[in-house]
Amino acid sequence: MKKPMFRLKHYLYAFAFLLIFLPQVAFAQEDAAPVGFLGSIEAGVQSVVDVLNLIFYFKIGGENGMPFIVLWLVVGAIFFTFRLKFINVRAFKHAIDVVRGKYDSDEDEGDVSHFQALAAALSGTVGIGNIAGVAIAIRLGGPGAAFWMTMAGFLGMSSKFAECTLGQKYRVIKPDGTVGGGPMYYLSRGLSAMGLAPVGKALAVIFAVFCAIGSLGIGNMFQANQAFAAVSNVLPFLSSLSWLFGIVLALVVGLVILGGIERIGAVAGVLVPAMAVIYALACLWVMLVKLPEVPGAIGTIIATAFNPEAVAGGAVGAIVIGFQRAAFSNEAGLGSAAIAHSAAKTDEPVREGIVALLEPFIDTMFICNLTAIVIVLTGVYADPTAADLNGAQLSAASFETVIGWFPYVIAVAGFLFALSTMISWSYYGQQSWAYLFGDGTVNIYKGIFLFCVFVGSVVNLGPILDFSDIMALAMSLPNLLGCFLMSGLIARELASYMARLKSGEMLPEPQLAQETVLRR
Amino acid sequence: MSWLKRKSVLIPIDFSELSYQALGPAKELVEDVSALKLIHVLSPLHPADPAAMWDTLSDDDRKQKVKAFTHDKLGEMGHGELPIEVVIGDPTSKIVDYAQEIDADLIVMPSHGRKGVKRFLIGSIAEQVVRLSHCPVLILK
Repeated sequence: MKKPMFRLKHYLYAFAFLLIFLPQVAFAQEDAAPVGFLGSIEAGVQSVVDVLNLIFYFKIGGENGMPFIVLWLVVGAIFFTFRLKFINVRAFKHAIDVVRGKYDSDEDEGDVSHFQALAAALSGTVGIGNIAGVAIAIRLGGPGAAFWMTMAGFLGMSSKFAECTLGQKYRVIKPDGTVGGGPMYYLSRGLSAMGLAPVGKALAVIFAVFCAIGSLGIGNMFQANQAFAAVSNVLPFLSSLSWLFGIVLALVVGLVILGGIERIGAVAGVLVPAMAVIYALACLWVMLVKLPEVPGAIGTIIATAFNPEAVAGGAVGAIVIGFQRAAFSNEAGLGSAAIAHSAAKTDEPVREGIVALLEPFIDTMFICNLTAIVIVLTGVYADPTAADLNGAQLSAASFETVIGWFPYVIAVAGFLFALSTMISWSYYGQQSWAYLFGDGTVNIYKGIFLFCVFVGSVVNLGPILDFSDIMALAMSLPNLLGCFLMSGLIARELASYMARLKSGEMLPEPQLAQETVLRR
Repeated sequence: MSWLKRKSVLIPIDFSELSYQALGPAKELVEDVSALKLIHVLSPLHPADPAAMWDTLSDDDRKQKVKAFTHDKLGEMGHGELPIEVVIGDPTSKIVDYAQEIDADLIVMPSHGRKGVKRFLIGSIAEQVVRLSHCPVLILK
């Protein structure tokens, strides 16, 4: 029974990788100030945001400078790109070979193949942000922000490589065969191996705290919020019933993560890649319809990247917005994906790191760019009558100009993408919680998580986006600091791996045998 | 003093260093080590765990691996062969249920000595076992 289902899933994922992954959602209910219970929840979120803003968002370089935390991410991505000699370019082909299974070995420790690990990580990465986030970036930073998102995706491939290599190297195989991995493990174990045990332990705990809380934003409230926006966009009678939507969504997520109804997870696992393929095809269709204008749209994106008109903060503003939205979308530098990647079956940490660098490529350089081109191509973002549209609604309106019924697809796709991303992030959050408090109490975390699904559905986008951004970016503080400290180790491992790869000793046995025969 | 000896003693093991410490005192409470039974409670795999997502690690696999691990570990520690029950679910209720099932007349478990938040969250497992168990529970300090 189960086998065919999984084979189908496998193929759909393969398709999805070729074409795209996710997207969408809408910007939600910016109307009417909420009152009563909902109002107090929102006020609570806002006051938390105010405090966090002071800590993480102070600007370096004056009024129009770069927020500290964004600069941190940018510097990290550039550092690893140069330190690892453009690993994002030179390992790209090898990454594809590895994902295709050329180097899989059943004898290595771990739970899943390279391909399966990448798919699992992508289901958390490719979320509603891929559609809504791009629209937000263009709305705030102009079309040029899309260029900086692409840049951030390109450079982010290197930080993703660094963190996932460490995740694999310092993972723990538990007695039952499951894998414990991610920044909590490499910060504590890796730094302790360098004689920095107290620092490592502290960074690991800080990361776990940020990740457990951050999951509630980027992987939960933001997703729920935009899922509601996408759905209520096509079902207007729902717009005053956000509490009902919140309860239903929390119920569905609860059925999956509290166990019992695992099939929902399996069904979403099949539908999400299928939706991603449909989304990608729709983007390509829009481009085809407007083919003569495509070069102009790309020109606009590039030109406004360096010369943004009317963007708050000028060119720096566009860069900040681009990098921020990209990090939010592809998680590079945050460390979260290393949790999923550490389950891969391999005895070569560098190999899984190389697989992981495909993630920002698929998520940001490919999917986000498709969305961006569609938005710029249709010109809806520049139409004064659509000035109040943002996020998923802006994306939906852009598609609507070419494919009238597409907002319905965005609603369904957005709901499913949000669902699968929430399920994945509840895993990241739960792993962090378990690192702090042990496995025995994860049900408490699940309860908090489900409550936040409800909160995300009923609260306005503004405070939700601020909270989600800050907590997600905060994860990069302990994570990248640890990666910097271990960058020498990463570079050595990479050099050794590349040397062995070049010598051909890594090729699987049958191919070696074949070559020998040929040589004779 | 043999009338004081227990016929069936259950020791929950969570593979922390502390949890093995219950083995020593427990041995003194029984006439023969065959009266000792171990239990390990696994939490269910999260549906987004890559192994669950791709169905590459079944519950039976996990149980088998835990049994093999326990066998090696106890051998290494010089405790010899002890039977271990591996179940999946909520730790407290599984421990209490199994104690009833094997008609244990004592449960021995260490107090983890946790402080603060951890004590608030986890300390309660030992406390809950004490509350719900049908038989006496010995908490080691």
